[in-house]
Amino acid sequence: MNRRQFLQTSAAASLAPLLGSCGDGVRWEKSAYIKAKKSRVAILAAERYDSALRDTILRGLRLFSLAVAGKRVLLKPNLVEFDPRGVINTHPAVIEAAVDAFRTLGAREVIVAEGPGHRRDNEYILTASGLYDVIREHRVRYVDLNTDDVRPAPVKSSFTRFKELYLPDTLYNADLLVSMPKLKTHHWGGVTLALKNMFGVIPGAIYGWPKNALHWAGINGSIVDINSSLPLPRFAIVDGIVGMEGNGPLQGEARQAGVLVFGSDLVAVDATAARLMTIEPTRVQYLADAGKFLGNVELAAIEQIGETVESRRQDFRVLEKFNYLKKLIG
Amino acid sequence: MALPEEAIKLLAAGQNGDGGWGAAAGKGSSTEVTALALLALESSEGRSGAVEKARRWLIERQNPDGSWPLSASAKGPSWSTALAMLALGAEQRSRVVKAGLWALEQEGSKPGLLANLVRAIRFEKKVVRLDEDLIGWSWSPDTFSWVEPTGYFLLALKKYRALLPEKSWRERVEQGELMIYDRMCEGGGWNYGNSSVYGDSMWPYPDVTAVALIALQDRRERKQNQQSLGVLTELAQKTDSGLALGWTAICLALYGQDGGAMKKLLAERFAQTGFLGETKVLALAALAAGDGARYFRV
Repeated sequence: MNRRQFLQTSAAASLAPLLGSCGDGVRWEKSAYIKAKKSRVAILAAERYDSALRDTILRGLRLFSLAVAGKRVLLKPNLVEFDPRGVINTHPAVIEAAVDAFRTLGAREVIVAEGPGHRRDNEYILTASGLYDVIREHRVRYVDLNTDDVRPAPVKSSFTRFKELYLPDTLYNADLLVSMPKLKTHHWGGVTLALKNMFGVIPGAIYGWPKNALHWAGINGSIVDINSSLPLPRFAIVDGIVGMEGNGPLQGEARQAGVLVFGSDLVAVDATAARLMTIEPTRVQYLADAGKFLGNVELAAIEQIGETVESRRQDFRVLEKFNYLKKLIG
Repeated sequence: MALPEEAIKLLAAGQNGDGGWGAAAGKGSSTEVTALALLALESSEGRSGAVEKARRWLIERQNPDGSWPLSASAKGPSWSTALAMLALGAEQRSRVVKAGLWALEQEGSKPGLLANLVRAIRFEKKVVRLDEDLIGWSWSPDTFSWVEPTGYFLLALKKYRALLPEKSWRERVEQGELMIYDRMCEGGGWNYGNSSVYGDSMWPYPDVTAVALIALQDRRERKQNQQSLGVLTELAQKTDSGLALGWTAICLALYGQDGGAMKKLLAERFAQTGFLGETKVLALAALAAGDGARYFRV
């Protein structure tokens, strides 16, 4: 342990009572424990945003035998902000291909829903990002989760002071929530992937733009508490065709990675996606915490299918303060 | 049928049975949307039955502390109190004063000693370029001040200045103005409230820039206002959005500028997307296309 790590640990320990820590006890309800003994994660090669994506995503979904026939599937992309010079958002071609694939598998309805974290202007962000053309052409319903009707949900873990969180009604009316993040570094959390993408289901009308109440409560803890409290099954498709390195999630640089990552265990998906960026997931605070009960973060507990991490790994640049994440274990 | 007639027609058809409006047709009534839709209808048809029903919705939902909730399902005090104040007008003097007194008591939080201590221990540089000691209004209780809610509260408080205690009014309004100016993006305009993160400049949004300028309309001669007005006009013209164009047209009217080009773009946008059926945008467009800017004049 170097001097900085020692000081950080000492500070965290001395401040813990003031930060609302629950001490050494279990910090989640029994019903929140959804970690399997082993999780499968698929990495499929996808070099471009083109029409071949439809087959790639269909192939990825079939690897998990998802029972979506007759079900309502909610696709949750990352549309936090738009910058014409950047690669902030989940690419609309990936969303389009996912709509098509879930419909092919017999979904009763596929909807796209997001509560952008910075922008209140849905029409702008949908149009600018290219998603408006997709939802219009494919007649997909879009729901603004920031202003959706809400209901209070009990928080099933205690990594923040939240006892309940307001969640959009649309979550309660869907059968499967598909987190579709971009493969990105993050200037507060280290990485932003399928778990962090769930900030977007938290309604801005209540928690603000940016969702500052979550930042105020602690970003790492909020990510875990939100994901422990979602009322429906989840799946993840990570857009890692072109990711973002450096000062993500908004102002970093594009990085070609050429992959899509799939899985039902969002922790395992994120752990794998982090490894693809040469970032050690067990050192990412919220992944380490989520790995205790929401899913698998350890390499040995993840069955890797499709491409290997080693064959597709890229050395994503991080901000200096996250250099400690760059030493892979195992 | 052209904007604003079509928007008014859609608004009238979308009013919920309880008298309010939701974010979109079929959604539960919310204070923000009801306040703006009410003003849009009133500007078009005066105090009609629908307008009176909407006013009743607002009146009946004011919290005992003077604030308004966000909606029927989120009952706590909310930032949308400022918009309810604007919608009801001085005619509801006692309600507006109660809300104003509540608003004067609300303060965005500061990171505090603990966070500063942690930051110091971690040798962290300040990651954002803003003055954390300047207090405005937050979106949710006990969190940081941001530009848009501060803009709404400044506007409502300025509108009812004569009804509120001068000393506390002056303290809060002056500091709120300073906070907004402090958050201005490099070159002018505003986004949600961060002008720079880790040394990289953040870019302004037209809708928030317009709200900030509307809140600062009595400071129009200031360099920052004029600079931001130029940024707004440029931004709005290249932003495909009824929200941006609606707020911009209202802002230009309040600054005595010609909003004709924005209104034309607004009508074109409506024809293309119908504003995605968002009630709030329909209301703003109707206000902007008509003479609704008067409701935002201080």
